[in-house]
Amino acid sequence: MAAAAPGTTPANVPELLLDGRAEPMGRYLRALWDSRQLVATLARKDFFVRYRRASLGVLWAVGLPLLQALVFTVIFTHVIKIRTGSSSYGAFVFAGMVPWSYFASTVSGASSAVVDGSSMASRIYFPRAVLPLVPVVANLYSLCITVTILLVLCLVLGVHLGLALLLLPPAALLVAVLAASLAMVNSALHVYFRDMKFLVQAVFAVWIYVTPVIYPLRLAPASLRTALQCNPMTGIVEMFRAATVGADPGWQVSLAATGVAMVVLVALALFLHRRYDRLFTDLL
Amino acid sequence: MSDPVIALRGVGKRYTKYEDQPSLVTSLAHIGRRSRRHKLWALRNVDLEVGSGECVGVIGRNGSGKSTMLQMLAGVTMPTEGTVRVRGRIAPLVAVGVGFHPELTGRENVYLNGTILGLTRPQIEERFDDIVAFAEVADFIDTPVKFYSSGMFVRLGFAVAIHTEPDILLVDEVLAVGDFAFQMKCFDRMQQIREQGTTVLVVTHNLNSVRAMCDRVALLHRGQLVYTGDPGEAISRYHTIMGEHRELERELDTTSGAWSPGVASIDSLEVLRPDGAETGMVGTGDELLVRVEGTVLSAMRDPVLGVAVTAANGALAYADTSFGRPSGEFAPGDRFTGEVRIRAKLVTGSFSLVVTLRSSNLDTLYDRAGPRTFWVGGRRLATGISDMEADFRLQRLPGTAAGTGVAAAAETEPTGA
Repeated sequence: MAAAAPGTTPANVPELLLDGRAEPMGRYLRALWDSRQLVATLARKDFFVRYRRASLGVLWAVGLPLLQALVFTVIFTHVIKIRTGSSSYGAFVFAGMVPWSYFASTVSGASSAVVDGSSMASRIYFPRAVLPLVPVVANLYSLCITVTILLVLCLVLGVHLGLALLLLPPAALLVAVLAASLAMVNSALHVYFRDMKFLVQAVFAVWIYVTPVIYPLRLAPASLRTALQCNPMTGIVEMFRAATVGADPGWQVSLAATGVAMVVLVALALFLHRRYDRLFTDLL
Repeated sequence: MSDPVIALRGVGKRYTKYEDQPSLVTSLAHIGRRSRRHKLWALRNVDLEVGSGECVGVIGRNGSGKSTMLQMLAGVTMPTEGTVRVRGRIAPLVAVGVGFHPELTGRENVYLNGTILGLTRPQIEERFDDIVAFAEVADFIDTPVKFYSSGMFVRLGFAVAIHTEPDILLVDEVLAVGDFAFQMKCFDRMQQIREQGTTVLVVTHNLNSVRAMCDRVALLHRGQLVYTGDPGEAISRYHTIMGEHRELERELDTTSGAWSPGVASIDSLEVLRPDGAETGMVGTGDELLVRVEGTVLSAMRDPVLGVAVTAANGALAYADTSFGRPSGEFAPGDRFTGEVRIRAKLVTGSFSLVVTLRSSNLDTLYDRAGPRTFWVGGRRLATGISDMEADFRLQRLPGTAAGTGVAAAAETEPTGA
């Protein structure tokens, strides 16, 4: 058991009881929910501090993905030509890169978050899950910027944008939740196994190629297609495309894998963090 | 104490110390086997209750379990056995400025730190001016804190923590930093919030502040709570522990010269009050009786007894010898005793004392004993080494101000102590 949120004991006095056991899940979730302002504040700080000393400041957050979008457009319309149907291949790849970059940079950064935040975390209590959740939220700023660039790119390249755009917010939510749960799991494991950091890098180096980011799913051999659809990122990438440049028919099937992975990861993330919340410090 | 705010019952904390960091490979390789690791109890069987509005100090040597205890009270770590119960809002005032980001301005850091300590945005806005005023950083509040002096940094951190209006303030070594004037200000502020019913727990090496502030002091030694109670007694016991364990850290001036063991050895050293009671603690101006006993190993003539006192920062406070006062012939196998009476004209603080036995010309050191640490409790605010018994008088001369002088002078006329 552990820290209670204000209001859980009579007279509104928060009470901390440590007896060696992890606190009940309800209390833990409540403490996590009560930390939302902390996550938001730390995330805002994280994002803006990143550009604080650069003379161009936050413009870099726009400039870099914009450059990437331009490179994709030029390379894939003039250098490498792959048939993807109606839309420009540059926009097609960029639509895949938007959720992928968010996911990869968030998870690889957040995987060491509990260890990285030890100077603060070993002195002040807040649910340790706050630490991996901060980059999840901080990178949402970048995600908003890249999504905007994607929309502009679609307009410039003459892609028809319609009601399907309504799929964007749920798609963004899905990738954020998937990233958050994986980040929580990794950051907990990383405290015990410092190899996690490198393992994550290795996995991501491979993962991008087993996700239809730079190629369309239907170009994959039929034998591999089902396997690719079991990749939880496939559904998300396809959903971002469905909302903008258009996805292959039947893309919704891939979302089933995303859903299953998400349920498993969220459960594991909460299990690990509830169990080890106040024990991480001992190994930092 | 019917309703303690802090209650530790049978608390123990065991750390597993790995010889090397467990990695994925070694863990997999060692599955089902006990890997190379030591179990270490940082705290054991600790019972402590702190009532509302009390100020309790926790002292002990490095590694005695102080930080572990503080971490548990802050809720950061779990006890391995026993229970820790803390009722009320806790503000940890630990290593002030934790969570400060160097690139952010003072203003941004106040919001950031306030949020980390559990304040809502409107609460921070409401207290912002007070925080800045208390920290005395108004002119620099929009400057990144990386340009702050360490004093400003500490002041701002303390100001935020103290303005969270906690029920329980956990203070870790904070008073050791910052300039003297600010320490006094913090001290006053802590007295003030205590009067409002805030419970304060201080973990520190700074015995000055412990003695000045605390109602009770808990002494930790090797993870055990060896004493809880009167601050003076706790400090005295602390010095006894320190004296037993301190190694010969530095060679004092009085011990220079050739070392010649095998002539005589000092077997015991006692620091006593004049009435013969052993003490680790004296008041300023009190007399101390330093007594040694030893054995003569080979013949010596007119050996010289010396004593040296150093302050906690290593500065030599006093040294003298019995040079020029013949002590006679000593034969092998003889026992000898030596006594030195000194007067502790010292300011409040921790001092250590060394006794030496030398040849008649001071060239050869036969043996030395100590250092033995003792505590001087003097006039609270005087610092330095020697207590020169300053007597202050400050008043405004009546009738010297322009215009309203006489009236103003009348108002500020000293009212006497």
